[in-house]
Amino acid sequence: MPRLTIDGREIEAKAGQTVMEAAREHGIFIPYFCWHPQLSVPGNCRICVVGVDDKGGEWVDIACNMPVSEGMVVHTNSEKVRARRKATMQFITLNHPVDCGICDKAGECTLQDYHYEYNGERSVSVDAKVHATKHHDLSERIVLDNERCIQCTRCVRFTREVSKSNGLGMISRADHSLVRAAEDGSFGRDPYSDNVIDICPVGALLSRSFLHKARVWYLKPTASVCPGCSRGCTVNLWHRRPEWRLKAPGMRTANESIDRVTPLENPAVNGPWICNKGRDLAALLGRARAEVAMLKGRPAELQGAIARARALVASARRPVAVVSSWASNEELAAFKASLGARFATFVKADCQPEPGEVVEDALLIRADKNPNTAGARALFGDAPLAIPPDADLVLVWGEGLDFGLIPPGAAIIHLNAWLAPENGHADVFFPVSIQTERDGHYTNFAGVTSAFAKCFPKAAGVADAAALFPALAGAGGGE
Amino acid sequence: MTGRKLIMNFEVTPTSHTLAEYKARGGYATLGKALKMAPADITKEVTASGLLGHGGAAFPVGRKWGVMKPNPGEIHYLCANADEGEPGTFKDRWILENAPHLLVESMLITSYALGVRHAFVYIRGEFDLPYRRIQGAIDEAYAAGLLGKPVPGTDFALDIVVYRGAGSYVCGEASGLITSIEGRKPYPRNRPPRLTVRGLFQKPTVINNVESLANITGIIRMGAEEFRKVGTAKSPGTQLVSISGHIAKPGVYEVEYGYPWVKFLDEDCGGMLHGAKLKCVVPGGISTKVLTRAEIEPLTLCHESVNPAGSGLGSGGMIAIAEGTCMVRFLQVLLRFYHHESCGQCTPCREGMGWMHKIIDRIVAGKGVPEDIERLYAISEANDGTTICGMGDAAGYATVGILNKYRDEFEYWIANGRSKLDGRLECRA
Repeated sequence: MPRLTIDGREIEAKAGQTVMEAAREHGIFIPYFCWHPQLSVPGNCRICVVGVDDKGGEWVDIACNMPVSEGMVVHTNSEKVRARRKATMQFITLNHPVDCGICDKAGECTLQDYHYEYNGERSVSVDAKVHATKHHDLSERIVLDNERCIQCTRCVRFTREVSKSNGLGMISRADHSLVRAAEDGSFGRDPYSDNVIDICPVGALLSRSFLHKARVWYLKPTASVCPGCSRGCTVNLWHRRPEWRLKAPGMRTANESIDRVTPLENPAVNGPWICNKGRDLAALLGRARAEVAMLKGRPAELQGAIARARALVASARRPVAVVSSWASNEELAAFKASLGARFATFVKADCQPEPGEVVEDALLIRADKNPNTAGARALFGDAPLAIPPDADLVLVWGEGLDFGLIPPGAAIIHLNAWLAPENGHADVFFPVSIQTERDGHYTNFAGVTSAFAKCFPKAAGVADAAALFPALAGAGGGE
Repeated sequence: MTGRKLIMNFEVTPTSHTLAEYKARGGYATLGKALKMAPADITKEVTASGLLGHGGAAFPVGRKWGVMKPNPGEIHYLCANADEGEPGTFKDRWILENAPHLLVESMLITSYALGVRHAFVYIRGEFDLPYRRIQGAIDEAYAAGLLGKPVPGTDFALDIVVYRGAGSYVCGEASGLITSIEGRKPYPRNRPPRLTVRGLFQKPTVINNVESLANITGIIRMGAEEFRKVGTAKSPGTQLVSISGHIAKPGVYEVEYGYPWVKFLDEDCGGMLHGAKLKCVVPGGISTKVLTRAEIEPLTLCHESVNPAGSGLGSGGMIAIAEGTCMVRFLQVLLRFYHHESCGQCTPCREGMGWMHKIIDRIVAGKGVPEDIERLYAISEANDGTTICGMGDAAGYATVGILNKYRDEFEYWIANGRSKLDGRLECRA
């Protein structure tokens, strides 16, 4: 266990660590562009220089590739280090267009932050900048602005070391170097490609779906869980800040839409990555919603529907429930508490892999495309779905059940968030809220429970399942 | 004559590079002697010889080898660096063309000493005859049973693969070279780890310049003590000097260390072209600082004499520059080269080379500003020791070397918008 001193603080590092790792572990900040905790060390940006005391005076080298050694004395902010960083910042911004005004990264850009912190001066160059492709399609999802690129190669290393698609590489030399996608199109097929947008320290890699959509300071992140598969990656859903909401008429959708999705780093589940399906949550959760309760396909008041459903529950002799694996732990617990004893209960898979979707891989994506199968099974067991022929009431919660499996003559209570043809076939239909409209938890395949929070209010006619079940349980529950 | 010869010690004929003639000159006899020695003793002998690397940095060969701990069963690699990309340098080419078997024999001995069973010759892609000669020599050695199967009487067997480079300056940098052999873009690697700890395919690797390796056979044949009698105390042996520029007799000369510099230029190389006067000389590849006629007057060609003068013998690529040559244009040529050859991996060199090139182009276009000179100094300084490989430093040395000595030419061009010396690079009769 080598002991070393960083900025006058004595710390104990682990053998084999670099100065960068040891400093970070002890809360000492050293700036970096190319270094990334999950990627290899290329040592190419040269901004992480630190000074080390030696017999011959202080020598300066990069911290990300400097092994710790016993007794070394490191300075992260000496005069020599500051001068070197400033020179490096001058180099990095030399050919950078500084078009922050039209750059999606502005506001969360490492280069902006470091410029103010370590340079702060205008360019000393009077020569023209190197021009490069300003808009290059790396794939259908990602646009590359080569002028903004500082060639840290994080994206290249990501496709080599994490997603393993080898989809990106560097071509040409010197200040004409360009990030380019492999000719075989493997980057376009990389299901994790959008992570390079997050790890890009500048605004070179841009999401086509978020391109010029919003300044990031108008948005706020809400912690959530991706419902795309049973991995349950923790994500940030970015939506418009209430204080910056658009007030023009007809802007409700803009104010209440998910503008982008980024990973919420979580070592227990997904690390710093998510897959592209998670990025497209806005599409997944933005499908047409059911917002009106129905009795046999005819719109009804919510209270009337509750009364009808309660009567069905009370009179049923053999009630069966098929619960949703998209429901939160809280909703499932509410069902179990109020109706669990009354119903024979099965857990169903709401969603199946779509054609063309990556079913399962070694990194994150799981074959079970439902977020809370584990949570539901923990409460209701994992008996295979088999509705007995003598069932006279079936409660179907969520989508994905073939109504043909329901015995003819049995009454149907159906809860669904989306518009679907089956909704009208139920005796009682309740539109229910989705995860962006309530708080809750999902338990992933490995038993890790993650929380999601409410982003938007739900529509007036929509019910919360957790509040609905006690009402259906009759005298003991709601009345 | 330029002193005793260790490498260019035979008459070059159309067939002198063949195995038969090499054997007739006593070739491959030293291999037999070496294989009777313990591997560690060969390393000891090379260390004792004081042989300095000929690639440019003059790193002691024995010290590099000493890091390798030959361990039977473990994989080690040897690479002969025949990329020879330093402008002005074409000495390895002479060895590859005329004494390829000397290199093969030396690589056999070196491999035996270092526990290597698989060696590479990384040869500059533009080299044609040298490639055919070294490949021919290796084919001959395979046919003669020297390579590919155990050398008769021992269990030592070596394979040598010739790898033709794809043409980049950084391929001659040791770590860029191995990255190139691995099939990737030749981005140099950060140290630590040193390549002798983790190099080619993540295995300990020794990379030596062709000329350094070519000396091994001689050292083992003569013994370290005899070898040290050639040259000077601190620079034992000889150096192949490839001289070009405004010189009457350009070419490759083997110079014994300690040979007087001016005598070499005036007598052995026939003086300057068209009887011109010497303005300055690039001692060993363009990355070494230029020295003026007055500076080289008292110097001899050895490291202990040239280094204190603020330059180095480098790779032995000497360029003589005649009086009347425009040093601004000369620097422009150098910076265009460095800009073109920067691999673009790390920030200071990627951005700095292009920046310096733009500045010098602007000066030459008559649009220079007085701050440009300080800017060139500042960029050179910001590249000194800050890059992954030595190329950033090298460009800075070359620039600072010229700026220090010929600042007036730069100031003149900036002030008057034209060259003080008509922008001449050539030397006319």
